[in-house]
Amino acid sequence: MRTARFLCVMVAAFALAIGFWCHVSLGAVENVVVVNGQPTITTDPATASDWYDTEAMYNLYSPLVYPTPEGSVRPHLATSWQAVGGDLTHWRFVLRQGVKFHSGYEMTADDVAFSMTRFIAMKSGNSGPLGKVTATVIDKYTVDFVLDKPSALFPETLALFFPVEKALVLANIKTSDKYGDFGDYGEDWLATHDAGTGPYMMTLNVPGTRLDTARFVDYFEGWSNEGWGPDEVPIDRVVFIMEADYTSLMTILKGRQMDLEINGGWTLPQLREIQANKTLDLTSCWAQNVTVYMNTKAVPTDDEHFRKAILYAFDYASVVGPWQAFGNGPTGIITPNMAGYVPIEPQPPVQNLVKARQELALSKYANNLKDVKVVYHFCGGLDFEEDVGLQLQADMAKLGVKVEVAGPPWAQFGAECNSAETTPNMTCWLFAPQAFPTHDYYLFSMFAKKGLGWIFESHWYFDDPQIETLLNATRAEADPVKRLAIYTQLQPLIAAHALALYPYQKPTLFAHQSYIAGPKESIPMVGPSENMHNWRINLTLKTQITGQ
Amino acid sequence: MLSPSRVLEGAVKDTMLKYIGLRLVQSVFVLFGLSILIFFIARVVPGDPARAMMGYLATQDQLQAVRVEMHLDKSFPVQYYYWLRGLLHGDLGRSAYTKRPVVTDLAQYIPATLELILFATLISVVLGQAMGILAGYFRNSWFDGVSRLVSYLGIATPSFVIAILLMFFFSQVLHLAPSVGRIPIMMTAPPTVTGFMVLDSLLAGQFSTALVALTHLVLPAFSLAVIHIAQEGRITRSSIVENLGKDYITMHRVHGIRTSRIVFKYLLRPSIIPTVTVMGLDFAFLMSNAFLVELVFMWPGFARYALTTMLNKDLNAMVAVVLVIGLTFAVVNLLVDILITFLDPTVRIQRRGG
Repeated sequence: MRTARFLCVMVAAFALAIGFWCHVSLGAVENVVVVNGQPTITTDPATASDWYDTEAMYNLYSPLVYPTPEGSVRPHLATSWQAVGGDLTHWRFVLRQGVKFHSGYEMTADDVAFSMTRFIAMKSGNSGPLGKVTATVIDKYTVDFVLDKPSALFPETLALFFPVEKALVLANIKTSDKYGDFGDYGEDWLATHDAGTGPYMMTLNVPGTRLDTARFVDYFEGWSNEGWGPDEVPIDRVVFIMEADYTSLMTILKGRQMDLEINGGWTLPQLREIQANKTLDLTSCWAQNVTVYMNTKAVPTDDEHFRKAILYAFDYASVVGPWQAFGNGPTGIITPNMAGYVPIEPQPPVQNLVKARQELALSKYANNLKDVKVVYHFCGGLDFEEDVGLQLQADMAKLGVKVEVAGPPWAQFGAECNSAETTPNMTCWLFAPQAFPTHDYYLFSMFAKKGLGWIFESHWYFDDPQIETLLNATRAEADPVKRLAIYTQLQPLIAAHALALYPYQKPTLFAHQSYIAGPKESIPMVGPSENMHNWRINLTLKTQITGQ
Repeated sequence: MLSPSRVLEGAVKDTMLKYIGLRLVQSVFVLFGLSILIFFIARVVPGDPARAMMGYLATQDQLQAVRVEMHLDKSFPVQYYYWLRGLLHGDLGRSAYTKRPVVTDLAQYIPATLELILFATLISVVLGQAMGILAGYFRNSWFDGVSRLVSYLGIATPSFVIAILLMFFFSQVLHLAPSVGRIPIMMTAPPTVTGFMVLDSLLAGQFSTALVALTHLVLPAFSLAVIHIAQEGRITRSSIVENLGKDYITMHRVHGIRTSRIVFKYLLRPSIIPTVTVMGLDFAFLMSNAFLVELVFMWPGFARYALTTMLNKDLNAMVAVVLVIGLTFAVVNLLVDILITFLDPTVRIQRRGG
């Protein structure tokens, strides 16, 4: 009896709590969009380097030049630029007039020169590929950059250069011996504040947790509704929240606590669930190349015929099949949407065991296949990379070759690729253009001796002088048409060495409420597609959907 | 002239103070040993801390510069010397992942997890004890059977599975519970004073925010508490059953003392001693093991931070995280020992050397 009474009290308390929850869960329709990303680590343009920092950069700041969907750059903060002299070490940029910082002050060449000097001096973030750059103010709206080495692609690298407001940064410098007279160069302050010209202003930043922003009405590109529907209006407030397990994300997406998800890590069943939901949409923003490098310095992938056997043995259709409805498709060294794309062997990308056996027979390991083992590593936790490995394991077993599949944690996996000796035979990567949305990223950075190295070149193949010469020529060629011709010429040359398996290209699918529209243009690079100036909200539709 | 009871009381106080002092000194040595251990382990596990700090596009020159700045080019003992010197000045170094001082990170993340596990502990104490007492007192009844089944299920089911199930039913299907975060996404958080959302809301006079924050605690805290409710419930039940059969309880019954008085005055106190010991360990355990629940509920806490730093080979943060967990174990165990001394007179006598 007493037990029953106790249980009744507990049930009543629980019911009261539920009633309270019901009461507090109601909300009102507002011009606010909640975006799930990863936690922004820092918002200092000189130290930001992570994927998620870059997304924040494109909202809080503006780059000097803006990436285009075709893989080039167009004027943005700079209206024009040209190489001074013929050696490509001296570049002059003319700045847009009337661009305002969030503080209301106009941006001038002094701010841009200061930002570049700071960027280079801090030797952090994305400044590495720039080398040493000296900035000089020519007049109020003109700035010169002198490089320590020639670069035809210098303007493209400035898609990750975000000028800061000089006076504001100088006013918030902390005493430190790190950068001489400049103390900490405002690093600590900028990690949680903004001094930018971007479409959104920071209103709150709890690093690693949330970033609140408000629309900057004086944004220099304006907020025109041209090209948008009649009810689609600019978003007034954007709240970036931290990442979570995708089951939780599905819950808050369906519960309309989140409006837009920009990581695109959904599983196949989740994507089908989103597709089936009438108030949710999926938008394909840009594609990433799933790339499986083969270490040319490790047994048995040091043999070109062995590597080609792998390319023919892989069953592309089995891996891509279920995903085709969501846009996954064949790819090559660059993605098919890029100008100058050349399909690579095997064509069409289908399994051909006859050819695989032929190639295997030509390899130096043909007579001792039982003694060799291919080690395939992927980043632990990424199921789609594991699927590729397991498929390969099954396919190679048909040829009598053992494939060991493992997914070490990221730190260990990254460290393995510090040298050819420690890199496994095959390493699977999802390469998203985080740096330059150009052919240079997929070609020079990934195959030249002076490329990005490390995981980006874990094939460790730099032995073809023709490829090296052509890659170097791309960076010295100022004419974009001629440069594209070299890129086209390079792809079959690189593919001939069978340095990588390209299972498919994986589109980044953003899931969102159907009252969210965008992005206006899909740019194959982290950042611009997540620039919320590129998105709109339909408040009429939101009101109808939420029933309020 | 002091009475014998006053003399005894004074002696007990002295003994306790000496005992606490000794335990504190021991804890310092334990933490020192722990710091050496984790400092070296962190450096030998695979991963490149310079790369973690500088990102994907860093050049070899930049990486080398960072290695020099972080003293990674020096021998392990020299690196440890620099770290220890920093620690004595309240500087735990800079996190490679967040690029902020580790102390700043800890100050941000620890309160969120502490609030969560305090609430989880409260739930597990109330429900675990209630279940254990009832199951023990009404042993072999239907309630005992149900509580046994619930306990086995609770112990066997991982917290994150419970978290996902609770979220699915209460948030997604029934739309009854808040699903993620410490407060609703659109709600303005109170100014940070303690870092405890409920407390800070009360301090700021935002009573509705405090209530909402409390409701946001329920699902994640309950997810974490389930296993401990089950565990503590079973331990309490065993103690109750054991003590119920003792002569002094029979004597109280023979004297006609009310059942409720027997239970709460004479039975409960000795029966909860084993549970209190386990509770202390559970509390410290949750500090580092709440990460999956924090991930599911988007809880910006310490356990999640700890996992992120480990996966990114964030050296300074890794060492700090392990030290915080070690410190938590040390402090909680000390508090548990003190509590047990007050609950159990035999322990007091033993510590006096009686």
